[in-house]
Amino acid sequence: MNSMERITLTLQHKEADRVPVYPLLNSVSRKALGITYEEWSKDAEKCAASIIKATEEIGADCICTLVDLTVEAADWGQEVVYHDNLAANPNLNNRYIKSADEYDKVGVINPRETPRMSEHIRLAKLLYEAKGQEMPIIGFVFGPLGILSMMRGQEQMFMDLIRCPQKMQGALRNITETLKEFCAALIEAGCHAIMFDTLYASRTIMSPKMWDDNEGVYIEELSDFVREKGAMVMLHNCGAGVYFKEQIARMNPVAISYQHIPLDCTDMEDVKAKYGDKVTLIGHIEPGWLFAATEEELREMCRKQIDAYKKGGGFILATGCEYPALMDFDYAKIIVEEAKTYGKYE
Amino acid sequence: MTKEELLKDAFDSIVDCDETMALKVLKDAEAMGIDPVELLSKGYSAGIKHLGDLFGRGEVFLPELIFSTEVMRMVTTEIESKMEASEIESKGVMVIGTVLGDVHDIGKGIVASLVKTNGIQVYDLGREVPAEVFIEKAIEYHADILGSSALLTTTMTEQKKIEDLMVSSGLKGKVKTMVGGAPVTKRWAEKIGADYYCEDATDTVKFALEVLTATT
Repeated sequence: MNSMERITLTLQHKEADRVPVYPLLNSVSRKALGITYEEWSKDAEKCAASIIKATEEIGADCICTLVDLTVEAADWGQEVVYHDNLAANPNLNNRYIKSADEYDKVGVINPRETPRMSEHIRLAKLLYEAKGQEMPIIGFVFGPLGILSMMRGQEQMFMDLIRCPQKMQGALRNITETLKEFCAALIEAGCHAIMFDTLYASRTIMSPKMWDDNEGVYIEELSDFVREKGAMVMLHNCGAGVYFKEQIARMNPVAISYQHIPLDCTDMEDVKAKYGDKVTLIGHIEPGWLFAATEEELREMCRKQIDAYKKGGGFILATGCEYPALMDFDYAKIIVEEAKTYGKYE
Repeated sequence: MTKEELLKDAFDSIVDCDETMALKVLKDAEAMGIDPVELLSKGYSAGIKHLGDLFGRGEVFLPELIFSTEVMRMVTTEIESKMEASEIESKGVMVIGTVLGDVHDIGKGIVASLVKTNGIQVYDLGREVPAEVFIEKAIEYHADILGSSALLTTTMTEQKKIEDLMVSSGLKGKVKTMVGGAPVTKRWAEKIGADYYCEDATDTVKFALEVLTATT
């Protein structure tokens, strides 16, 4: 059984040969080629080559195109700062939207022609050409509210959400229209699924109502659009107290990548009982926890999660967010090994 | 309007994220000759403490807390400008910042505001603060507490560097360290030798008051 067959069965909530595994191998993969974060972020060939090499070396079952959270915002004109050893970030002293009156600056753009989104589309194509027959390629797209916050600044955007939310709706609409084209291009490039990062849909950030009013409506349209284009919808949210119920109602995703127990659940068994038959659960070893965990503790955590979630399929053992860029591949290999051994179905 | 009603309005203006009301209360209080220290402590500060509790219980969220923290900053600046320095009591000193390489500072800013509201003098060093600067400032300001925030797995290792410098500079044991941030865990705090792991702003206030009670 190859990775594609394994994950297909898992998404159908059937038991494959074993639990599939994906330790979110993104920026850490640059170590496979020994390149800087900046090179990895900007050069699709190098990025694809490193992801492919790391995926093969570690033995993961799928590939996600997450690069960093500035990909989309950069193309509207947000200045981005690149680093050798850290993920790119927006220039905090030079936001594209400097006041609540500047949301109108955000128009509809063509992601097939703008620098970073077009490079991201090329990355998806390269990954699909190399691995798309044997494993799913998942296109990673930041949600509209997340993109807007990159351009306005989170703190300012949060205050605008209280003071004048109506002023940002035009920008959110234009981002949504742009993302439709971005998703279409990623799907044409070969992505089997689009994973939306709905960063703010958790208790740690905003109320379910605020999220629903300001992103829910747009992400629903985007999710419907992705399905119309023949791809699957997934979502990633690594916040604490993530809103599963509200997001499922808007997006109806086939899978959710998460780091913490959802707001309306008490523990892993409860997550499986409440949502295990509705979505495939992707998770959820905490990357930060890995820094202090011993090898034994990591194996124990993998086994605990496999025990809680594996029954009847619908579970991919994964990290809850990107595998730490500063670590070597050893712990990722242990996670894979546990899926391959302890995660076997009888 | 009575003084009690005005104090309640000050409280409510913070809890309800109503900046217009907060500024109106400030003017009304001045016109009524109400003691600004009392207005701050029994009105606005009581409101932000309550909001912090509601946030801790998941009944209000980050945008509301940020908004009210900003309103709180505005009124506090205004009130403090009218007070004698000797009127401003301080239970102790905390230096706080986001570690080198990390540009995130919303959470740290909220922590700083809530700690300050609880009568602790806070020196917010901002974001991307090198470990050496944390130490220098802790010495310069005679800090009781050093708090560091890291929002990325690529930057949380800086907190270990701070702990190492605490030891080599002789500050360990004299200044209590607190670590927080999304990827940070209790295990990480224990591993690097930090004194406290703070899951959120409420934790930080609680531990800070514990530290200062123990030292007085």
